[in-house]
Amino acid sequence: MEPDVSIETSSMIRIAILPIGEIPHQTLRDYYSMFHHHHPIPLSSISSFYTEEQKSPFTSLPWDTGSLRFKFILGGSPPGPWEDFQSNRKILAVIGVFHCPLSPDLDSVIEEFDVVCKGYASALVTRCFGFFPCDSQLEDGAKKGGDLRFFPPADRQTQEMHFQTMMQEIAASLLMEFEKYVFQAESSGTILKTPLDLQASLSSEEVIKAKKRRLGRVQKTIGDYCLLAGSPVDANAHYSTALELARLTTDYFWYAGALEGSICALLLCNYLSPFLSFYQIDQIGQNNPALEDEVRCRFNSVILHYKKSFIQENSQRVSPLSFELEANLKLARYLCRRELSKDIVELLTSAADGAKSLIDATDRLVLYVEIARLFGTLGYHRKAAFFSRQVAQLYLQQDNRLAAISALQVLALTTKAYCVQSRASISDNSHNNEVGSRNADSGKMHHQSVVSLFESQWSMLQMVVLREILLSAARAGDPLAAWSAAARLLRSYYPLITPVGQNGLARALANSSERLPSGTRCSDPALPFVRLYSFPQHSSQMDIVKRNPAREDWWAESAPSGPFIYTPFSEGQPNDSSKKELIWIVGEPVQILVELANPCGFNLNVDSIYLSVHSGNLDPFPISIDLPPHSSKVITLSGIPTSVGLVTIPGCTVHCFGVITEHLFRDVDNLLHGAAEGLVLSDPFRSCGSPRLKNISVPNISVVPPLPLLVSHVVGGDGAIILYEGEIRDIYISLANAGTVPVEQAHISLSGKNQDSVLSIPYETLKFVLPLKPGAEVILPVTLKAWKLGLVDLDNASGIMGRQLKDSSSPSLLIHYAGPFTNFEDPPKGSVVPPGRRLVVPLNICVLQGLSFVKAHLLSMEIPAHVGENLPKPVYVENSASKEANVSETKIDLFRGSRGLRFLELELSNPTDDVFEINLSVQLDSTDDKLSIGQDAADYGYPKTRIDRDNSARVLIPLEHFKSPILDGSFFMKDFKPDEAADSRNSSFSEKSVRAELKASVNNLISRIKVRWQSGWDSSGELNIKDAIKAALKTSAMDVLLPDPLTFDFRLVRNNLSHGSNDSRLKGSVLAHNMTPMEILVRNNTMEMIRMSLSITCKDVAGENCIEGTTATVLWSGVLNGIAIEAPPLQESKHSFSLYYLVPGDYTLVATAVIEDADDILRARAKTDSPDEPIFCRSPPFHVRVIGTA
Amino acid sequence: MIVCVAVVGHQNNPLYIQSFTEADDALKLHHIVHCSLDVVDERVNNPKKSGLTLNETFLGLLYPTENYKVYGYLTNTKVKFILVTTDLDVRDADVRNLRYGIAKFFRRFHAAYVDAVSNPFHVPGKRITSRTFAERVSNIVKSFGLSSAG
Repeated sequence: MEPDVSIETSSMIRIAILPIGEIPHQTLRDYYSMFHHHHPIPLSSISSFYTEEQKSPFTSLPWDTGSLRFKFILGGSPPGPWEDFQSNRKILAVIGVFHCPLSPDLDSVIEEFDVVCKGYASALVTRCFGFFPCDSQLEDGAKKGGDLRFFPPADRQTQEMHFQTMMQEIAASLLMEFEKYVFQAESSGTILKTPLDLQASLSSEEVIKAKKRRLGRVQKTIGDYCLLAGSPVDANAHYSTALELARLTTDYFWYAGALEGSICALLLCNYLSPFLSFYQIDQIGQNNPALEDEVRCRFNSVILHYKKSFIQENSQRVSPLSFELEANLKLARYLCRRELSKDIVELLTSAADGAKSLIDATDRLVLYVEIARLFGTLGYHRKAAFFSRQVAQLYLQQDNRLAAISALQVLALTTKAYCVQSRASISDNSHNNEVGSRNADSGKMHHQSVVSLFESQWSMLQMVVLREILLSAARAGDPLAAWSAAARLLRSYYPLITPVGQNGLARALANSSERLPSGTRCSDPALPFVRLYSFPQHSSQMDIVKRNPAREDWWAESAPSGPFIYTPFSEGQPNDSSKKELIWIVGEPVQILVELANPCGFNLNVDSIYLSVHSGNLDPFPISIDLPPHSSKVITLSGIPTSVGLVTIPGCTVHCFGVITEHLFRDVDNLLHGAAEGLVLSDPFRSCGSPRLKNISVPNISVVPPLPLLVSHVVGGDGAIILYEGEIRDIYISLANAGTVPVEQAHISLSGKNQDSVLSIPYETLKFVLPLKPGAEVILPVTLKAWKLGLVDLDNASGIMGRQLKDSSSPSLLIHYAGPFTNFEDPPKGSVVPPGRRLVVPLNICVLQGLSFVKAHLLSMEIPAHVGENLPKPVYVENSASKEANVSETKIDLFRGSRGLRFLELELSNPTDDVFEINLSVQLDSTDDKLSIGQDAADYGYPKTRIDRDNSARVLIPLEHFKSPILDGSFFMKDFKPDEAADSRNSSFSEKSVRAELKASVNNLISRIKVRWQSGWDSSGELNIKDAIKAALKTSAMDVLLPDPLTFDFRLVRNNLSHGSNDSRLKGSVLAHNMTPMEILVRNNTMEMIRMSLSITCKDVAGENCIEGTTATVLWSGVLNGIAIEAPPLQESKHSFSLYYLVPGDYTLVATAVIEDADDILRARAKTDSPDEPIFCRSPPFHVRVIGTA
Repeated sequence: MIVCVAVVGHQNNPLYIQSFTEADDALKLHHIVHCSLDVVDERVNNPKKSGLTLNETFLGLLYPTENYKVYGYLTNTKVKFILVTTDLDVRDADVRNLRYGIAKFFRRFHAAYVDAVSNPFHVPGKRITSRTFAERVSNIVKSFGLSSAG
């Protein structure tokens, strides 16, 4: 069995080409390659070398169209047993090749050549070609003559010419030798035997038959030589004779041989073209159905006769089966066209079936190779792969390294059909295209990869093939191939491999890599699986904003337009939304998150992993990582962009198991997609317990020149700023330019919730320091006031303190800044404005619940005044004003009593762990200060109230300052319409406007009450209790703010107190049984004259208050009534009267006035509408203590 | 005797392969089924030359190999059914007989397949894992063995 058999083989002259002496490997290949151009030598070209000594036996040699076909056997081959049967199997010529510079001694060359030639007894022509001879060698060689031929150094073309001539000469010599042989063969008794005959001839008795047989065989051999000589017509004639003789002598084997030869002759006759082989002719389309049928018919006969020649006795030793199979293959190759696939499949199937009976394993191997080749030609790749695998198995049976290498190579051919090919075998071109297309439409799957996912389901076959590759590579000593096979096996089929098997593969990987030089790259990734996790956008610290040079607020257009997160218009173009743009900056580190998975049962140690960047403008930083069995990890891979341009990151480069591989994200995406559809065995990430990820769209990444980079920190620590509600504090934010470009523009704004908690922003400070050079720093003071916690916040706060508060509710400072408009480093690009940046400085304010306000209510206090003696101070006169004056010192003059003194009581509780001090201050209006001379207009210094932790306290705020003291105060003039009635500008004011004015004045009042607190050293703030005060004041605002139209005062008249030596004891008291002169002072607080009818009631009471209480026990009562008094505006009227007390005890004096002709103002003040209703004014009760005389 | 039946998807992905022999020859049968796709592909790609008309789903004998004969059947959705049998001397007329031949077997097999993929939980393109389908197929194979024997 021979490789590469075809019908044409019968017409080929075998020439052994043997290296003589020492020849470098590459040079030898070079020399060999020269022969390849010269396998058909046209007869027409050799005529000059041909001399016809006798009349040629090849009578019909086609000199014009014929050719000699050479088949070069590089390195020669040992003679086979079947050379007599088929002359084309003989080595008919030997050409030695030697390299003159390395073999200077021609004698030794000749000697060696002669020795070599002895091994080829069948050789008719021997030549020895010497390349690159020196002059001396040329000379020497000329003397020696013989078979030496020299090719002097020349250019390739000249050498080829020279070479061609030499080959033509050899062809001519061969032709002449063939003639000689034919002459001899016919005359002399050449015995032709085959291994098949050896034993049969012993038993042969019929001599005549044997002679005839010999004749037939000789004729067949002559026919063979005619074929070799390129004369099919002659060959045909001899074959006919041979066929006849063989048929007569039942020499089936030779009959079949002759028939085979005749087929070749037939085809040669038909296609007399020296340069084309038969199949090529067929493919050109010159096929001839009649001829084809004839060939087929004859081959069937050939096969039949080979079968017949099978002899049972020696079937163990030798068999014509291989010739039968060869005939099969020859026919198959001849017919090998798609249209005839059925026939060919049959032929090849029967050939394959016959393979089992072949004795020689090498024969079987050759047969399988040929079958595989033919199936491949036919387009039956799977079948071809199947037989290739058979070949590989046969190689592997041989158990030596060379065979293993062959097995490996053959298996490598099958990988495509089984879809397990190494990525190295997929051309780089398509690879790059795919990368490009992936970037173009990242969302879509590449069709090819989908198909490959489907095909990958033949896992049983694929694993077998990969295992065989691994085995043969290990045996062949090809660690890289072994590594690659193990990697493919592990990566694709880990779910089907037991943990023990996985460990074995891991060991195989490790072992292979030990034999590889460090830094070896392999195109097939092993583990881990790497997928893109996310492309982090710029952190808010270094966000990039497009810059609109035309506008002052150049950042404005880049902000998201509109208040909605979802805009229906953007949904229309899904491409746009999925295609995110990412801008990286030269020199600023970037990060990408990737997820690694190790679904196998061993510990995976990734020596290093880093981003693989094809665009070359990113310096990736490698990291190493350890993945425990069945685990996945998200890791951050970083790098620094080095130059401006686009960046594509197709995957990661991984150094694992000693070999460097590139893991493409696209592959894993496809795999995961396949897993999602159930097409692939398993999702490595899910099997590691990692959740499913949505497809990550790869943004278009471009790198831009350096930009300024502001870095902020809060002076004193970047932690949360913890403030109690209402606390006011200054913080200092330091901004430093960490970039390499100065900041030339900067602007601060606020964003987020609770923006009003930022009380002041230092715009000017920032403007002042521009441009901020690289490395420079500026400190910005910002004043904060903590906001009030809402109910929700309170709930949260009570749950887990401060954990979640800061994120959602804190305001942020937005600082938009940019470098210079033009880029200094790259002036031509100046037209493109470099983008600006945005720095978000989140003010991490954590508001703690501080003092909490529980409730506020208004208290009114009535302390009856004593009708006193002539007190030294004339305070009685200036009633309301003196009250104000007193407050600051003594709060309330108990003796004087107070009427309608109102307090706002605030109940505060302190739920915190701190102690708070409350500092109440009431601010007086500056317009009011003439009434409070000597007072600081700003504050009243109430003593501080301290509230301990978890306690509550009440704070009283006296409201009396707000009562209108007199009616000409401009403050009241301004604010109170009722008092402005005197201006008669607005005499018909309405109730409505009263209310409005009231409201305004209440607000005014409230705004002047400040409750400040202080806690510890540095916490201070203000309670926001405006609403509470407002609510508390709502009902009685008028009483608080407006004075009564009339105020009363009683006084003892002093002049008759002559006897009072024990004054000190009896101070402020009245003696019984004495006429007690008294005065009542009625003050008119309005701007108009009031006439009234005054009554004075004096009651002797047991209770405190005899006026209002119905249950009070009135012991005595007397009334002075009908006193008509007129009080001029803003003045007092005095009415003197005397009382005579009979019984010592406590008495109460009350004055009541009925105002006559009350005007609207008074009515409004009295809250009455009806004009008929009398308007009463009543004084507070005054106490009179009457002491007995004894 | 039927030794193996297979369903192969339109991307030449195996959907179902079941052998009916006791011997451990799954790999061999996989190979046979895999190789038969060459022939199916060829017939699909050159329907005229192989004499296949569009309506004909039964592809007939795909190829003989060693001790087996491989028959094929192609649905309109390019799903292939492959049958590997050891009955080497079956006449073509018997094969195409719709009452008891292999063509009949394929019809029934096709019906079983259609029912299997009509399951709303079946993912097209995924391997058929339905036990009902497996049982039904093995019934069809058994009954075929009986009818062809009888």
